[in-house]
Amino acid sequence: MEDRILKFISALRASGLRISLAESADAFQVIQKIGITDRELFRYSLKATLVKDSENIPVFDELFPIFFSHIDSPPMMKIAEDLSPEEADLLAEVLQKYNQKLRRMLEKLINGENLNNEELENLARMVGLNRINELRYREWLVQRMKRALGYKEIQLALLELVELLTQLGMNKERVNQMMQVLYSNQKAQEDQLRQFAGQRLAENMSENTPEHNINDLINRPFNSLSERDMAQLRKEVRRLANILRTRIALRQKKAKTGQINAKATIRANLKHGNVPIHLKFHGRSLKPKLIVICDVSTSMRYCSELMLSLLYTIQDQISKTSAFAFIDHIEYISPDFADKEAQQAVSKVLDRMPAGYYNTDLGNSLADFQKKYFEMVDSHSTFIIVGDGRNNFNNPRLDIFNKIARRSRRTIWLNPEAPTLWGSGDSDMLKYAPSCDAVLHANSLGELTTAIDKLLIG
Amino acid sequence: MSTDSLFESPQELKAALAQQQYIASDEIATILYLSQQLGKPLLTEGPAGVGKTELAKAISQATHRELIRLQCYEGLDETKALYEWEYAKQLLYTQLLRDKLQETLGNAESLAAAADRLAAEEDVFFSMRFLLQRPLLKAILSEQPSVLLIDEIDRADAEFEAFLLEVLSEFQVSVPELGTLSAVQRPLVVLTSNNTRELSEALKRRCLYLFIDYPTIEQEMAVVRLKIPELSSKLARQVVEMVQSLRSLDLRKSPSISETLDWAKALVTLNANNLDVSTLETTLSVLLKHESDLQRVKRWLRRPSSGDQLNHSGDFLSPHFRN
Repeated sequence: MEDRILKFISALRASGLRISLAESADAFQVIQKIGITDRELFRYSLKATLVKDSENIPVFDELFPIFFSHIDSPPMMKIAEDLSPEEADLLAEVLQKYNQKLRRMLEKLINGENLNNEELENLARMVGLNRINELRYREWLVQRMKRALGYKEIQLALLELVELLTQLGMNKERVNQMMQVLYSNQKAQEDQLRQFAGQRLAENMSENTPEHNINDLINRPFNSLSERDMAQLRKEVRRLANILRTRIALRQKKAKTGQINAKATIRANLKHGNVPIHLKFHGRSLKPKLIVICDVSTSMRYCSELMLSLLYTIQDQISKTSAFAFIDHIEYISPDFADKEAQQAVSKVLDRMPAGYYNTDLGNSLADFQKKYFEMVDSHSTFIIVGDGRNNFNNPRLDIFNKIARRSRRTIWLNPEAPTLWGSGDSDMLKYAPSCDAVLHANSLGELTTAIDKLLIG
Repeated sequence: MSTDSLFESPQELKAALAQQQYIASDEIATILYLSQQLGKPLLTEGPAGVGKTELAKAISQATHRELIRLQCYEGLDETKALYEWEYAKQLLYTQLLRDKLQETLGNAESLAAAADRLAAEEDVFFSMRFLLQRPLLKAILSEQPSVLLIDEIDRADAEFEAFLLEVLSEFQVSVPELGTLSAVQRPLVVLTSNNTRELSEALKRRCLYLFIDYPTIEQEMAVVRLKIPELSSKLARQVVEMVQSLRSLDLRKSPSISETLDWAKALVTLNANNLDVSTLETTLSVLLKHESDLQRVKRWLRRPSSGDQLNHSGDFLSPHFRN
């Protein structure tokens, strides 16, 4: 049983749940207390200890019956028992007609036998069940196994059987009765296949760890990420953002004990005759106001998307974020993020401004920005540019960039390109760099997180 | 029922909760039972108004334990949650005890000697007498076992959550002037969250997790019948069916059990014996708290198809209402 629970836990992990060692230990502790005799009790115990997020409850509900249940369908019935000798003879005679394979299957149904282990293993090998470790293939595999067993032929044979038996003079009602049993036996067999496929898949899942270690993925450069990697990373962003949030919040907490707020202190201590017993400090004026301009051209897309999703997940630690996207002109994209996940928002933005060939133009975008949104920049705001600084030899408009940089509190550039490449080819990075307070190199989700942590310091 | 004994089985706990007019599903009863067996905090999540806070109240009554409630909000900090020195009282005592202090310090030869004597008396001013106990400390120091309800933890800041972690794992706090105070009786801890933000994994790891969703028709019927017995069973069924169908709409705020109960109470007060158009129109605002939702539902009710469907199940819309 313990082994089964462990396998269950690793299958849950393989489906994306984060279950810590402490939590699985809790599960075992609970099971020890509660025993495994009551199935519902057992299920609730595992659920309460292993699943800590309502989003993951469906995953649990799907996997649980696969690991901890027997086939619920009624047991197969034996037909031979209530046949009269004549009827049995008839049946045997009819069965002679079929070839060996078909006859064996029909006999199994008639005798109400389940498929044995060897047969199941053979089937698994035939349909390639052992190589697959995703539960969504379950039905497909069941269909394949049914085909391998020759379900279609069996179906036809059953119909034929009815006809033959009636022709040979068996009572029609009896034939119907027999068919009912045969069909329900077939149904039970199908359930057996489904159960087997589910179990095998789940076991495969629990044995094969996901292809990439997630930590490896976090540190992988953006330009070598596949769409599949991205899907995994998107899930990870939330977790990273949470870590980030806690860190930022704790820092702000400490920062609170900075300057004494004289006005508030006097007011608070009026009741003590102005003896300063309660000291009041300046609160968190530290929440930064961000203006982010992201390059969403093909080369920068992943980086910008992850940056934006990180920023929007820690929104409560930032007083205001205004987000812009550019390729050849600028667009205000904050409204897109209001009610959507970052990925959807970014893809919606990209629908609006499709990436062309080599048309990235920061200079023009900056000019755009100055024209429409310049008043957003003030002495409280941190101005962030996410981009590679590759301008396709267009005018970089350093004049505008300097103006913005002077006006904002801080100017930070996040560049995924290696510093050695800055200034090469069409890169204007070195021209922009002197006006920035910091140029951070962020080429993977891990580095991006560190960079955001840095830029929120003050 | 014996005072404050642990329950022997989930069924027993369920029965005890039912006595307190709380209808718990098997899942709720089981997980709550586990939580008290293991002494682990219970984190309940779910939409607003499904009875998360009620659960804590019911369990405190069922176990005859005192309920200590900590309502979380943004900006909540240790001084509001744990303890605070009562400065004003300290000040007052110093004033009143001035003569006595004079006496103690009067015959000191030097300033240093006087300071030493004063230091010896320091304990008087930093004793439990002047410690203002806030919910967390109260739960820890309580001589009798208690139920600690930490309500809407998701509203508190992340840093408070980190602080809470310490308290929940050790059940002890250190007050610099007094030393470490540890729990006399481990309280039963229930945390609730409306999931407005993600809680930290560390906190979740330490808790058992219970997700309470909207109840099924039967469960909700049972709750309504139990809490408002004066409502006729026919009307109760209509009410519950109406609410259940409203939940399937995409509303800004779906009506929860507490709203169902409010609505049922309103109907009782209005002496309604059937859900007709005018009653429905006038009382719908008890159920729906947003103007846009109200408009939406009114439109939805006027749609002939939905009217038919409702009529089918509830038989409470008069013909002209269906257009």
